[in-house]
Amino acid sequence: MINANLKSTYAADERVLNNRYKQMFVYGMALLLAVFGAFANDYLILIACKMGLLLIAVVGINVLTGYTGLVSLGHAAFVAIGAYSVTIFQNVTAGFIPDPVMIFFAVPFAVFLAAFIGVIVGLPSLRVKGLYLAVATLAANFIVIFLIEQDLFAPWTGGMVGLTTNAPNIFGWILDSKREMFGLIALVGFVTLLMAQNLIRTRIGRAFIAIRDRDYSAEILGISLLKYKLMSFSISAAFCGLSGALFAYFYARILPEQFELDLSLELVAALIVGGMGRTMGPVFGVIIIVMVPEVIKITFGALTGDAAGMAQLRAPLQEIAFGALLVFFLLKEPLGINQIVDRMLRAANRWPFARG
Amino acid sequence: MGQFAQFAINGLMSGAIYALIAIGIVSVFKATKVVNFAHGYLIMFGAYFYFTFSVVVPGQEWAPAWLASWQPDWLLAAKEGLPMFSPMGAVLDWVANLPRILFGLVGALFANAVVGLIIERTLMRPLMGQSIFAMIMVTVGLISIMSGSAQLIWTADAANVPYIAPNMPIRFELFGTMIFIFGTDLVNMVIALLLFGGIVAFVRFTKGGIAIRATAEDSSTAYSMGISVPKVFSRAWVLASTTGAIAGAILATRNGISPSLGLFGFSVLAIVLMGGLDSYIGVFIAAMSVGVMEAMTQWQLGGDWAEIVPYVAVLVVLIWRPHGLMGQKEVERI
Amino acid sequence: MKLNRRSFLASSAAATAVMGTPMILKAQPSEYVVASSLPLTGPFATAGQLVSPALKMFEAIVNEDGGIGGVPIRTTIEDSGYVPATALANYQRALATEPNMVMYYGDSTGFMKLVAPELKGDNATLMGSTSFASDLANPAENPYQYLPGPSYEDQVDILLQNIKDAGGSTVAFIFSNTEFGRDPIEHGKKKAEELGIKVVLEEATKAQGADIPTHVTKLAQSGAEHCILQGYVTGVWPQLIGGARQFGLPTQFHGTFWGMEKLIADRVTAEAGPFLDGYSGVMPYRYSYDQEEAPAYQRYAAFQKKAFAGTPLENYMPTWGLQSLVSLNLGIEALRRVANKGEEITADRAAEELAGIKDFDTGGFFGGPVSMVDNKIGTGRVYTYKADSGLFVPSSDWFTV
Repeated sequence: MINANLKSTYAADERVLNNRYKQMFVYGMALLLAVFGAFANDYLILIACKMGLLLIAVVGINVLTGYTGLVSLGHAAFVAIGAYSVTIFQNVTAGFIPDPVMIFFAVPFAVFLAAFIGVIVGLPSLRVKGLYLAVATLAANFIVIFLIEQDLFAPWTGGMVGLTTNAPNIFGWILDSKREMFGLIALVGFVTLLMAQNLIRTRIGRAFIAIRDRDYSAEILGISLLKYKLMSFSISAAFCGLSGALFAYFYARILPEQFELDLSLELVAALIVGGMGRTMGPVFGVIIIVMVPEVIKITFGALTGDAAGMAQLRAPLQEIAFGALLVFFLLKEPLGINQIVDRMLRAANRWPFARG
Repeated sequence: MGQFAQFAINGLMSGAIYALIAIGIVSVFKATKVVNFAHGYLIMFGAYFYFTFSVVVPGQEWAPAWLASWQPDWLLAAKEGLPMFSPMGAVLDWVANLPRILFGLVGALFANAVVGLIIERTLMRPLMGQSIFAMIMVTVGLISIMSGSAQLIWTADAANVPYIAPNMPIRFELFGTMIFIFGTDLVNMVIALLLFGGIVAFVRFTKGGIAIRATAEDSSTAYSMGISVPKVFSRAWVLASTTGAIAGAILATRNGISPSLGLFGFSVLAIVLMGGLDSYIGVFIAAMSVGVMEAMTQWQLGGDWAEIVPYVAVLVVLIWRPHGLMGQKEVERI
Repeated sequence: MKLNRRSFLASSAAATAVMGTPMILKAQPSEYVVASSLPLTGPFATAGQLVSPALKMFEAIVNEDGGIGGVPIRTTIEDSGYVPATALANYQRALATEPNMVMYYGDSTGFMKLVAPELKGDNATLMGSTSFASDLANPAENPYQYLPGPSYEDQVDILLQNIKDAGGSTVAFIFSNTEFGRDPIEHGKKKAEELGIKVVLEEATKAQGADIPTHVTKLAQSGAEHCILQGYVTGVWPQLIGGARQFGLPTQFHGTFWGMEKLIADRVTAEAGPFLDGYSGVMPYRYSYDQEEAPAYQRYAAFQKKAFAGTPLENYMPTWGLQSLVSLNLGIEALRRVANKGEEITADRAAEELAGIKDFDTGGFFGGPVSMVDNKIGTGRVYTYKADSGLFVPSSDWFTV
């Protein structure tokens, strides 16, 4: 966007939404979400909730991979930690903290715990990079899920059987329908995005980007790699923990196998498809990653007319589509859908002059 | 002590198979600098191809009867009167299956080589010179494509496949404990070790191997010296997919055929990083020690703990030595 | 546009359609939906693919008999890949898109436990499943889920009792590392102790692609006389038994319901020899070839001959299909009882009627009339596989737990 960028004060330049296009977009989106929440049917609400849960975690991955340039294939572990710690916290403190305010203690606890464990998992990132870090995080994912499943911790984690979480209770208002949960998820998701947008305009965000572009150069410029790499890990883990906490509230029961490698890969795939290192990237990515299987399902059902013997072909097709999307974007459009959208907006903005 | 020996032997036998799988990852990395996260799924394809050529094709009506089960007169005569599960019976069963085993292995080798070449041409070559992240994620995408395709092609779960070697039981006493070994496992181990040694020798002593090493050192210089780098790439992928086919056939007889065979790729990836990506020797040591550690865990703590052994091992080793046991340290320019 | 009654109705219907909130109609719907999730892909794909035609057959036969109170039923089948979260997504999607859903048929222990806390208020649906997990038979906490037979714990009890009667003194448990596999193990250990049987090995394996040689060596080292296998469907258990036989181990193997399928046993025998001979296990139903005095079986057989010619289902209904048919029959029976009383079908009413099923004649599935006790039917019998005839033959009487 080349116009609307004239700033006459520093304050205007430092705003989170630093031009009126962004402001209009944000207000418009907020309105749209409210209308959607009120009028969409149950099915759409369900899909939107899933997108919201995934979105918050992908924003977290974006901080780490998109902004700081560290690869993680194990962030599902943090979603698991968020989901489990919220439930365990509720179960343990059930007598001490009254239910109507429980969520205001449980969720921050989950987020902090995830951030703390993020620091621990991030420690190897100081010594290993790139591929080695990817495999180290992948290994961490396997280990965390394994520990959750162990009989040793089963009194708290429920082992392989999982845990049940009550619907969230906000000052006595129990969010026990999916539509109410949608309100909560949409609100949190919205705030998450604004926080991410805010992050990159601060000193911390700039340090992240410097590390991404060349870590040794950044260190020479006086950016502490130790401090900022760990900070990046903990911030991204915190977002994933938040997503996990909502995940636990959204689904009545959580199982360890929901947080395995598949979820980690899905998070990274959503980020790549949407566009790394861009605030809106996770949004586009999540929409595509959630919608493509649904669209395949619906068109496939319509084409085959629910014939028995055909339904078994659908899941493999969805899987292939997922892989193909990932490969296509990496080979043809490494900056993701965000880049495509940018290009279109730029063309519209300059119309009828230069395109592209 | 006897128990210890039993599980150490078990561990060495599965370690050898890990090593065989690891060759594929190391060779591709050496030549192309791509770490193939989808290698496990290449192995899965090998297993399914072995199943196709050793069970499905011989089972067809148009296939000659001797392919499905070879029954010459002397074999029938030898089988006469043998008890059902005798060692001799196992050998004779194997002889009867020999045509389809060989057909299955040859078929799997060729089919998997074609798959490897297709992947190399369509997905990997366009990625030359891209970031490590992009390369990793393309192979991650490949995982989904391959596992989905396998489910489309071989819809329901597959049946038993014939053992590669006669599966006679070997029993002997050691330190007062009975030791049990499957004959076929022993042969599998020998096959895996021979292949491993052969490939290391190939890379070290032959012209083609030197080309691979030269490309690994510096691909543009290798190119300017007249080495056809694309050919080296294809050769590395063919090497990976054919060793993968053999490993797949072995795993198919050991563990049964299912898409979950692909998950082996992740544990082997951990082993490869633990050994050092570009060192055959380091990877061999890592594979054998993880195999033994897994078997010991299996013995002491049970089957579920064994699954995370490679991951714990790789984390420990990476923190201690960031480039694996014997991996070459990268020199980075700022 | 002139506003008359018809145009008003049309526009308000359009409005509700647009708003997406379905109008609650008290009138009888044009059809009832029985939705289901089956593992059409994944580790248990063989089972799912054989059960799905049985569901379609069930739909046709129920509708021949007038559906539920004159309203026809329609079954839908979704693929879960044996992933509980996918099955849960299928259920939630069915809830959101099928307003006339009266029953759901789920497919794994994991899914049934995952969905259990969601079955409240408007989200509740009568729910049968392929699982015999012990926790599911708990009408006090969860009246909507039920078992169409004895729980895995009951089945292990029966096996242990049988082992005891045969004079066995040591037993090994080998199970898949899933909820399905782990379900009866704790209970089984306690029961074995009560009966004075020593548990010499507890071994968890992968549900598919297990490392057979290692597990067999452990079994061999343990020297168990009997071995109970739990948590497998098509794979692993035949290979384990084959491995043990090749070693010449004298161990006797026993399975629970999911390891008692003739198709699998026959396939293994054809490919690898008759080593399953003598394998025994618990089966709550009669096999489909045992059609004497079983009108339901005869009717299904006639239908199968016509509709499934050329498939494995032509002359035989797998045990998995039988289980689904029993489960759905029980559910439909409960729904019909509600409908016949002229009441509106709700999950709560259906659950009440289901719990009240007593001395019900299923038409031959079981040894005799059965009753729902604690949302399960605790009867079964032990069958032994004969490799030469390829049949599971009964080796005990029917007994009730």
